[in-house]
Amino acid sequence: MATEHVGELLSGYLDGELTQQQRQRVTLHCSGCEQCRDDLAELRALRERISGAPLSELGEDQWRENMNDTTVQLSRGIGWLLFIAGLLVAGFYALYHLMIDSSMSFIEKFIIFGVYGGLAVLLFSVLRQRLIERKTDKYKDVEI
Amino acid sequence: MKTQDMREQLAQMGNGAHALATQILGNSEEAADAVQEAIAKVLGRPGSYDPKKGSLAPWFMRLVRNHCIDLLRRRRAEPLEADALPATGPGPEASAEAAQRDEAIRSALAALSPDRREIIVLRDYMDLSYAEIASVLDLAPGTVMSRLHRARMDLKETLTRYE
Ligand SMILES: [Zn+2]
Repeated sequence: MATEHVGELLSGYLDGELTQQQRQRVTLHCSGCEQCRDDLAELRALRERISGAPLSELGEDQWRENMNDTTVQLSRGIGWLLFIAGLLVAGFYALYHLMIDSSMSFIEKFIIFGVYGGLAVLLFSVLRQRLIERKTDKYKDVEI
Repeated sequence: MKTQDMREQLAQMGNGAHALATQILGNSEEAADAVQEAIAKVLGRPGSYDPKKGSLAPWFMRLVRNHCIDLLRRRRAEPLEADALPATGPGPEASAEAAQRDEAIRSALAALSPDRREIIVLRDYMDLSYAEIASVLDLAPGTVMSRLHRARMDLKETLTRYE
């Protein structure tokens, strides 16, 4: 052959990534070079085999289902956040009214404060636990 | 981009991403976890994707790839070579001959170096353009064709050993 083999241009040709000039060069060369013609045919067959090969055995539906799980987790997180915010506001509001209420004795106030204060502490410890679990969240290391 | 559209696109890309992650990590289950983690991260912060900077596929593939490389680094182990890639079973309808051909392709792919496997999966399995592949792999756009061609010739040669 007078001209050099077209080499990597065969891949570009196959993928439709060549300029018009490069395409013409490939067509012209291949019309007179059996080796490049064979290479091109083999590369084309190889490409088709890979695109049809089961390189992943998982189905689209699996990804959809997993995504739904993720959404549930996310909305649960938002739910907790709203719940805590509401509870804090209600707690301070109640505490304020308890303090300014003059119809109750100190003992009565203390008992009420003890019951609700105890509940608040319990809730706080549960939340703290959840927060620790969140810190070990396996998704946190994925860099975007 | 609407979250619903994004979810649908991610679902469609799941298998491609899984194939890529499998090629990098050398393990189908770990790869599925890695893709799942990447998807969860994207859905947790959908605003991190900027449609003005290109389509979702290369952006997401890059994210998946970087995450896989991170996992490898943390594992402090080399990607498993050669026969370490698991046989992902063919469907029951696949004939024995087709199954054998698929098996040969998988074995040949597994015998290539990781960077050659990657570029082949991105182009021939995922159908990304050269420009997109360059952005996923952090390559100069002009080098994609030659790398891909070398990888393909390598695969073609390697495949003869498995058939
Ligand atoms: Zn030639």
